[in-house]
Amino acid sequence: MAGMSDSEVQGQIAHMIAFIDQEASEKVEEIDAKAEEEFNLEKGRLVQTARAKIMDHYDKKIKQVELQKKIQQSNLLNSSRLQILKRKEELLNELLDDARKTAYKMASEDPSRYRDTMIKLTMQALVQLLEPKVTVQVRQQDLDLMRKIIPEVQDQYKKFTQKLEVKLTIDEQNFLPADLIGGVILSAHGDKIKINNTLNERLKLVSSKMQPELRETLFGPNPNRKFRD
Amino acid sequence: MAQKTEGIQQLLMAEKKASERVNEARKRKTQRIKAAKKEADAEINAFKTEKENQYKQYEQEVLGKKSTSESQIQVETNKKIKELDVMMKSNRSKAMTSIQKILFDIKIQLHENVKL
Repeated sequence: MAGMSDSEVQGQIAHMIAFIDQEASEKVEEIDAKAEEEFNLEKGRLVQTARAKIMDHYDKKIKQVELQKKIQQSNLLNSSRLQILKRKEELLNELLDDARKTAYKMASEDPSRYRDTMIKLTMQALVQLLEPKVTVQVRQQDLDLMRKIIPEVQDQYKKFTQKLEVKLTIDEQNFLPADLIGGVILSAHGDKIKINNTLNERLKLVSSKMQPELRETLFGPNPNRKFRD
Repeated sequence: MAQKTEGIQQLLMAEKKASERVNEARKRKTQRIKAAKKEADAEINAFKTEKENQYKQYEQEVLGKKSTSESQIQVETNKKIKELDVMMKSNRSKAMTSIQKILFDIKIQLHENVKL
């Protein structure tokens, strides 16, 4: 080290030391900054992913609850509708049963009307059968009546068809149940062709055909109905 | 000569110190990044709890309403059934008359395709 004084050398060394320190500080600063940056990045990424997952999870759960609620509502409304329909049916059946009783009463309390009805019922069935030999079943209590009206019926038949004749025989071995409203069952060729023209059977047909009309009369028109042709 | 070695010692020490500082910084960095997970977890759990509470509240609200709407609907239904009974009462005789009329209105006719 010729040519440099002690103080100059010291100076140089101090300078170099300062430089080393400075470099180190800068490096440390850089590392710390980087550390913070990566910290935030990592934390942010983790939180973001987790948040999205959690929100998705709860969105699904909420949708499930809403769906359940809707199903519940629908079931309740459905059950309500069924209750109402059931009641309508009960009331209708009550009415029809009452109709049966009313008809039965009429049959026993108005003999001339009943007679007329029996003739008509027999005729109606005969002109459907168009058979020359017909057996008729009646209730036991109508036996006498039937015997009396057979000639008249045979006559009417001839007039109506303008050429055909019929021989009507009462089946006195097999009577119809006494609790029927009334009417006849006609058969030809043994039991091969049979027409049930009892008032009970008629009532069944009439009530099923009249169902929509009856319901409307009793309960008012259906607000949901679109077509009326 | 003594100053030379002393100088060099000083420089060596400065270097050593510098290197230590940098290493410490690096260690800090690793720690910091580890800490990211821990802090993230804490934040996530807080969020989760918040969401869970919100959900539970919502669930209670919705399900709580169930029994009220159920009884409401039943009340409506009973009302409608009572109405049916009332309507039945007032329209009964009209319907009965129709039924009896048609029951005893017996038409005698041939089948449309029959040729005697």
